[in-house]
Amino acid sequence: MNLLNLSIKRKLILMTMLTSSIALLLSWASFLIYDLISFRSLLTQDLSTQAEIIGYNSAAAMAFRDQTAATATLSALTAKGDIVGAVLYGPNGKMFAHYFRGEETLPELQPTCSQKKSYRFQGQYLEVCHDVTLNGDRVGTLFLMSDMRQWSMRAQRYAKICFVFALMSAFLAFLVSSKLQKLISGPIMHLEDTMKMVSANKNYEVRAVKSYSDEIGSLMDGFNAMLSDIQQRDTALRGANEELQTRTQELEEEITQRRQAQEELLKAKHVAEEASRAKSTFLANMSHELRTPLNAIIGYSEMLEEEARGSENSGNIQDLQKIQAAGKHLLSLINDVLDLSKIEAGKMTLHLETFDVTGMIEEIVATLQPAVEKNRNTLHVRLADQVGMMRADITKVRQILFNLLSNACKFTDHGSISVDVDRRLEDGRDWIRFEVVDTGIGIGAKQKENLFKEFAQADTSISRKYGGTGLGLAISYRFVQLMKGRIAVQSEPGQGATFRVDLPAQVRIETPDSAPAEGTSEVPSPAGAVKADRDTILVIDDDAAVRDLMSRFLTKLDFNVFAAGSGEEGLRLARQVHPGIITLDVVMPDRDGWSVLNQLKAEPELSEIPVIMVTIVDNQGLGLELGASHYLVKPVDRERLAALVEKHRNMHSSAPQTVRIPVSMSPDGKHVGPIGAEIVRRR
Amino acid sequence: MVAILAMLTASAAPDARSQDTSASSEYLIKAGFIYNFANLVQWPAATFPQPDSPIVIAILGQDHFGTTLDRVLQGKKVNGRPFLIKRLKSVPELLKSVAELKEYQILFISSSEMPRLAEAIQIVKGIPVLTIGETPGFAKNGGMINLILEDNRVRFEVNVEAAKEADLNISSRLLALARIVPQAPADGRKAE
Repeated sequence: MNLLNLSIKRKLILMTMLTSSIALLLSWASFLIYDLISFRSLLTQDLSTQAEIIGYNSAAAMAFRDQTAATATLSALTAKGDIVGAVLYGPNGKMFAHYFRGEETLPELQPTCSQKKSYRFQGQYLEVCHDVTLNGDRVGTLFLMSDMRQWSMRAQRYAKICFVFALMSAFLAFLVSSKLQKLISGPIMHLEDTMKMVSANKNYEVRAVKSYSDEIGSLMDGFNAMLSDIQQRDTALRGANEELQTRTQELEEEITQRRQAQEELLKAKHVAEEASRAKSTFLANMSHELRTPLNAIIGYSEMLEEEARGSENSGNIQDLQKIQAAGKHLLSLINDVLDLSKIEAGKMTLHLETFDVTGMIEEIVATLQPAVEKNRNTLHVRLADQVGMMRADITKVRQILFNLLSNACKFTDHGSISVDVDRRLEDGRDWIRFEVVDTGIGIGAKQKENLFKEFAQADTSISRKYGGTGLGLAISYRFVQLMKGRIAVQSEPGQGATFRVDLPAQVRIETPDSAPAEGTSEVPSPAGAVKADRDTILVIDDDAAVRDLMSRFLTKLDFNVFAAGSGEEGLRLARQVHPGIITLDVVMPDRDGWSVLNQLKAEPELSEIPVIMVTIVDNQGLGLELGASHYLVKPVDRERLAALVEKHRNMHSSAPQTVRIPVSMSPDGKHVGPIGAEIVRRR
Repeated sequence: MVAILAMLTASAAPDARSQDTSASSEYLIKAGFIYNFANLVQWPAATFPQPDSPIVIAILGQDHFGTTLDRVLQGKKVNGRPFLIKRLKSVPELLKSVAELKEYQILFISSSEMPRLAEAIQIVKGIPVLTIGETPGFAKNGGMINLILEDNRVRFEVNVEAAKEADLNISSRLLALARIVPQAPADGRKAE
C-alpha cells in the first residue's frame, strides 16, 4: 500500500513521529559524537600521561640496563585494564622490557614513531610512542597500546540508552500525536462523512458542522455554501424537468395531431392528384372526342366542296367553305388549348431528330400556299447554302414557322412575305436563324408588350376580322424557350413586321435520360424494297369515317388504297399486298397502333415499309421511337399528308423526280407551285 | 651513554692496553655507570665554585680503565659541567692532593687500593666526594657505591648512610636499582 494513500489521521501521526524522531536522533547523534570525540581525546591524554610516568620511572632502569627493574615498572600497568601491551625499546631499537595483558604480543623491534611523543589510532587500538630520557639523554622508547576499552564500553552504553529512550520517546510521540491529530483529521473526516452522505443519498439538506475557524472551517463553510447552491439548483432543475415533461407531452400530442393532419393532407393530395389525372384523362378524351367529329366535318366539307366545284353547283361552295373554316378554326383552338395546357403542366417534351431544314421549309411552304394566295400575297424563300441539317423537335419548329407565316399571311394584304433561313456561328455555337418578314399592318408598341402572352391578340376586333385564336405566338414563344432559342419582333404600325427566331442547330435536352428519338427513318435502306408497290397505301383505322375520307383523298392522288378496320386485319393485308406506305391509327379496339407498329417493324418483309402515324394521341416520341416515319395528329392536315405520301412515292421510284430550283430565289420571289410540285431538294 | 652503548655493540673495538675484550667491555660499562651516577647524585651547591666548574673524577690506584673512561666522558656534560679525570697512584698521593685542593667530586678506588680503603675513606670524610669502588665489601666498609659483577652483569650496592654523611643526595631512582648496604658497625667482618 502506498504511503501517500494513507488516511490523514495516520499521515499526521506518521509526520509528527517522523519529525520528532529525526530531531531527537540528530540531537543525540551530535551529543554522542561530541562526547565520544572528547572522551577519546581524554583517553589519549590519559595514555600519554601514563606513558610519561612510566617513562620517567623506567628511565634509570634503562640507563643502567636493569631489565628486571624495567619489567617491574611496566608490570604496574596490570591495574590498567585497557592497556594491551607496553614495550620499552632500547636506544638501538631492540625490545628491552615488555608487558603484555594476555596473549597479545608486540613486535621485538621498535615501530617507527614519527615524533618523540606521538599517538595514533590503529583500528580500535590507540598507540603511544614516548621517548624515555634521563637528564635530557634519550635512553630508550616506550611503546604503549590501549584497546580503548572504556571508550567502546561507553559507546555501547550510550547506544543502549539511546535505544531505550528512542522507544520511549516514539511511544510518547505516538500518544501525543494520536491525541493532537484529531484536531485536524476530525473535522476533515466529518467533512468526508457529510460528503459521502450527500453523494450516497442525494440529500442536499445535510450540512457539515464547523468546529474551528481555521482553514478547514472555511472549507466547511465553502462546502455548505456549495451544498445550498446545489440544493437550490436541484430544486430548480426538478421543477424544470417537470415542466419539460409536461411540454414534451404537449409536444407529443401536437406531433400526433400534426401527423394526423399530414396524413389527411397526403390523402387530400392523393385525391387531388387523382382528380388532376382524371382531368388530364378527361382532357385527352375530350380532345379525342372533339376531334373525331371535327375530322368528319372538315373532311366531308372539303370533299363536298371539291365535288360542288366539279358539278357547277357553286351555290353551296361558299357555305361549305364556311363550315370548313369554322371547323378548322375550332380544331386549331382545340389544339392550341391542349398545347398550352400541356405547357402549363410542364408535360410538353421535346422529341429530337435530325432533319433537313430545306425539306421542312418546303413542306411548310407547300402547306401554306393557299393561305398565301388568299390575300394575294407573294412568298419569297431564301435559303442560305450552308443551312444543311438541324437537330431539333421538327414538329415544334414546323409549328413555330407555321404560326409565324400564317400570321404574316393573315395580316398582309397584297403584300409580300419572305422567309430567310441562315446558319451562323454565335458565341461559339451553331445557330439557325429563321426570319419571317411581311409588309402587313404591323404592330404597335403597346401590343408588342403582350405579343407573346396567351389570349392577347392585338385587339378583339382583330380576332373578328382576321380569325385565329391568339394563342399561336404564345405557343411559339414557349416552344422556342423549350429549345433554348430566342424569338424577337421588330415592327412599326403600318410598316410591316419582322419576326426573328434563333434556334441552336443542335438542340439538347438537359435531362440526360431522355434518349434522343432518332427520327431519320425518312431514308429507308434500299434493302427494304421487297416487291413493294409504291403506289399502294394501306390505311389502318377503326373509324370508318376516317378510312372513307383517307381512301377518297389518297385515291385522288393516284394511290391504290387498301383499308383495314383493325390492327389484325391491317397486319394481314400488309403481308398480302406489301404496300408502299402504311397509315396507322393508335387508339383501336383489340390491338392498338403501337402493338401493330411493333409487329410491322419486327417482320423483316414489312419492316422497311414507311409507316405514317395518323392519330389523335399526341405521342410523337413513342411513335418515332418504335420506328414510325412520320407522325400526324388528327384531324389530318391534308396538304401535309399529301406532301408526305408523295415524298415517299418518289423515294421509292428508282429515279426520284426532283426538280432543282436555285437556292437563292430572286428578290421578287418565285411563285411556289402547289403541293410539292416545285420543291427545293438538296441532298 | 649513546657512545657507551655504541662501544658495547662494537665489542670488537680495539683496546690498545687490554687484550681481554671481556675486561674491556666490563670497564666500558663501568665507565657508563660512573656517568649515570654523576647524573643521579646531587652535590651540595657549594661544592662547585662556578656553574661550569668541571666534575673532577679521581682514579685511585691501578687504572683498569685505560683510556676508556676518558673516551666515554669525552664531551659529556652533566648540568652544564664537563668531566675532569685525575689519576692518583696511592693513598698518600690522595691525602696530599686533598689537603692541597679538596677538589674531587668522585673518587674511584681501584681494587688495588682496597687494603688502604679505610685510610682513603678517612681522608675524604666530611668532604662531599662520591666514593665508588669495585671490590666486595667496599660499601659495607664506608664506601658509597660499589660496582659488583653478578651473573656476568654489572650491578651496584649503595651505602646510603655514607652518602648522607658526605652531604650527597642520591636520587631515589638510583636507589630503586641499587642494593642498599648498611654501614658495618665495626671493621673486619665482611658482608656477603
